[in-house]
Amino acid sequence: MNNSETILIIDDELQIRRLLEITLSASGYHIIVSATGKEGLVDAATHHPSLILLDLGLPDIDGQLLLKKLREWYAKPVIVLSVRNSETDIIQALDNGANDYLTKPFRTGELLARIRAAARAAQSLPDSAVVETDSLSIDMASHIVRKNGEILKLTATEFSLLSLLAKNSGRVLTHQYILKEVWGHGYTGQTQYLRVFVAQLRKKIEDNPARPALLITESGIGYRFGE
Amino acid sequence: MKTGKPEQGGISGSRKPETGQYLISAAITGIAALSCAPLAGGSHYHVVSFILLFVVSIMSTFLGIGPVLLASTLSALIWNFFFIPPQLTFHIDKPEDLLIFGLFFIIALVNGILTTRIRRQEVLAREREKRTESLFRLTHELSKASGIDEIVVIAAEKIEEQFSAPAFLILQDGNNHLMVTGRGRKNIPLSLNEAEAAGWVFSHVKKAGNFTAHPLTVNYTLYPLQGNKINPGVVAIRQTEAFNEEQQSYWDTFIAQITNALEREFLGELARQARFLAESDRLYKTLFNSISHELRIPVATIMGASDTILNTEESGNIQKELIGEIFTASLRLNRLIENLLNITRLESGHISVRLDWYDINDLINMVLEELEDELKPFSVQVSIPDDMPPVKIDFGLMEQVLYNLLYNAAQHAPAASEILLTAGTTESGFTLQLTDKGPGFPETALKQVFDKFYRVDNKKAGGLGLGLSIVKGFTEAHKGSIHVENAPGGGALFTLHIPSEKPDFDIPNQTIK
Repeated sequence: MNNSETILIIDDELQIRRLLEITLSASGYHIIVSATGKEGLVDAATHHPSLILLDLGLPDIDGQLLLKKLREWYAKPVIVLSVRNSETDIIQALDNGANDYLTKPFRTGELLARIRAAARAAQSLPDSAVVETDSLSIDMASHIVRKNGEILKLTATEFSLLSLLAKNSGRVLTHQYILKEVWGHGYTGQTQYLRVFVAQLRKKIEDNPARPALLITESGIGYRFGE
Repeated sequence: MKTGKPEQGGISGSRKPETGQYLISAAITGIAALSCAPLAGGSHYHVVSFILLFVVSIMSTFLGIGPVLLASTLSALIWNFFFIPPQLTFHIDKPEDLLIFGLFFIIALVNGILTTRIRRQEVLAREREKRTESLFRLTHELSKASGIDEIVVIAAEKIEEQFSAPAFLILQDGNNHLMVTGRGRKNIPLSLNEAEAAGWVFSHVKKAGNFTAHPLTVNYTLYPLQGNKINPGVVAIRQTEAFNEEQQSYWDTFIAQITNALEREFLGELARQARFLAESDRLYKTLFNSISHELRIPVATIMGASDTILNTEESGNIQKELIGEIFTASLRLNRLIENLLNITRLESGHISVRLDWYDINDLINMVLEELEDELKPFSVQVSIPDDMPPVKIDFGLMEQVLYNLLYNAAQHAPAASEILLTAGTTESGFTLQLTDKGPGFPETALKQVFDKFYRVDNKKAGGLGLGLSIVKGFTEAHKGSIHVENAPGGGALFTLHIPSEKPDFDIPNQTIK
C-alpha cells in the first residue's frame, strides 16, 4: 500500500518512537515524531498530519489536556496509546475526543488496522448513507436493515443502537455515550440495558452470535462496529 | 470516658457524724430513760443502769464515737439525777453507786471506741475489696485488649476512673526511644517540658514531677512503667495531692498490671516482627530465584536471537524463525509482568472491584481471542445457556481469572484434547466450570494449587506459580469461591461461583419495526 499520508507520533519513549517510525514508514506513511507535548502541539499545527498517535503519559503536559487542546482545532483522527489497566483514562480520552485507543504493549498489526479504520471513518458519511458490510446493509434514511438480502425485524431501540455504532464504524463508543445517545440522559448508569440489547442485536445480525464480528466488545470501555 | 462521680478511692472513711446522729443518740437515750421511769424511786435503780448501758452499746454499733459518748454521758447523768437516791440530785450516797457510775462511763467509752474501730476496719476492708475488684476488672479488660493502642486507652480510662485524675501514657517505639507523639495522649502532642520530663523519667526509671523529689516543672506526676524485660514507657497523672501510703501501694499495683499488659504486647509485637522478617526473607528468596530464572530465559532468547540476526548474513527462513522466538519470548515476558503486577495488586490490598453489567459471552470471547494461539491445538467447547442474563462483575479482574485458568489448562493438557468451559446461573449468581483432559493434580497438591509460587513438580511449563493464586485472589475479591478437583474422567475441574445481582427490569421499547 502506498500512502502519502502523514502521521504524527507524540511519545516520550525513544524506543517506542523508533519502533513506530520504522513500522509505519515501512507501511508507506510519512512520519513526524515529537518527544514532548509542547513539541507535539507545534508539530501538529505546522504539519497538519492526517492522524495523530498520542501517548497519554507525557512528561510535560497531561495527555488528556493535550488532547483537549488539539481538539479545539484538529478534526482528524487521534489514536491514544496508554498502558494496560487504565480503563478510566481511556474512557476519559474517548470522551475528550480520541477516536480510538491501544494499550501498550500492542501488536503492530493491530496498530496498522486501527490506523486504517480511523482514516476510513474520518471520511464521514452523509446521514442518508447506506452502511454495508459483507453480509449486512443498513439504510440510515429508510431505517431498513438487510442481512444477506433479507429484511431484518428490529425494534426501534435495536435500530438506533445499530445505526449509532454503524455511523461511527471502526470507532470505539463508550458505554455512557451509547446509553446517552440511544436511551437518553437518565439511563447513563444502566449498562444492563446495553448488554441485553447488544446480545439481542447480535442474535439477529451476526453470523455467529457467540463470536461476534460486527458488534465488537471493547472490554470495560464500550463497543465498536467492525466492518 | 466515664463522666459520673468518680468512686472515692482514698481512705477518708465516714468519720463525720452529722448533727442528726447526735440528735438520734440524745433521743434514744431519752426514750430509754423514760421507759425506765416506772422503776424510779424503787430499789431497782441498778437494773436501770444495765438497761441504759445496753442501749448505749446498741447505739455504738451504728453511731459514731461522738454520739456514743454523748449517749453514755447523758445516760450516766440521767441515771444519777433521776434514779440514784437521793433522786433529783447529782449527789451519790453509796460508794458502790459511785463505783457503778464511774464504771458506767468507762464501759460506755470502751464500747464506743471498740465498735467504731471495728466499723472503721470494716470500711477499710470493703474499700480494699473494691480495689481488688477494680484491679481484677482492669486485668480482665487488659487481657481482652488486642494491641498496644487499645491497652493505652483502657489504662488511661481506668486510671482516671480509679484515681479521679486525668492521666495518659507515653510509650516507647520498640527501640527504647520514647515517642513524643502518637501512642499516648489522644492526638495532643507533648509540650517540650513534658517531653523532657518524660524522657528523664524513662531513662532514669524514677518518678518525677509534682509531689516527688524531682518536680521538673510539669503539671503532672510521671511514673516509669517498669517491666521485667522492657520498660514500655511512662505514665503521667495530674494528681491534686500526694498519694498516701495506701493509695501509693494501690497505684503501684495498678500500674504494674498495666505495665505487664503492655510488656506482653511489646514482646508479642517483637516476635511478630521477627516472624514477619523470616517469612519475607523466605518469600524474597523464592521470588528472587524464580523471577530471575523466569526473566532471564526470555531475555536470553531475545538477546541471542537478535544478536544472531544482526551479526550474520543469513537471511530468509532462519531469520524468520529467530524473530518468531523473539516474539514468543516477549509474550512470555509480558505475561510475567502482568502476573507480577496482579499479585502485587492483590498483596497490597488495593484491589477495588468495579462492578458493572456484562455479557458473559463477551468475557469468554475476549479471553478465547487473547489466547487464540495457545488454544489452537485444543478443541475448546463453550457452553452458555441461551437465556443467560447479564452478570455484575469487574470485567478486567474476571478476564484475568479466566485467562489464567485457560492458560493453565493449555499448558498441561495434551494437544488435541478437549477443554470444556461451562457457564450457568444459580440462585445467588453464576458459575463457571473449566474441565481439561490433562493429568489433573496429585491428591496431595489439590490443597496447595492456589498457593503463591506453588508449582506441581516436573511440569514442562515455566511460570512463577502465580496464575492460580491470582485466580483465587480475584475470585475472592468478587466475594466468590473457587474449587478444584480431579474430574471423574481425568483432568482438572475448576468450579467458580461468583455472586451477582440479577438484572431487574422489563426490557423497554419492544415495538417491532
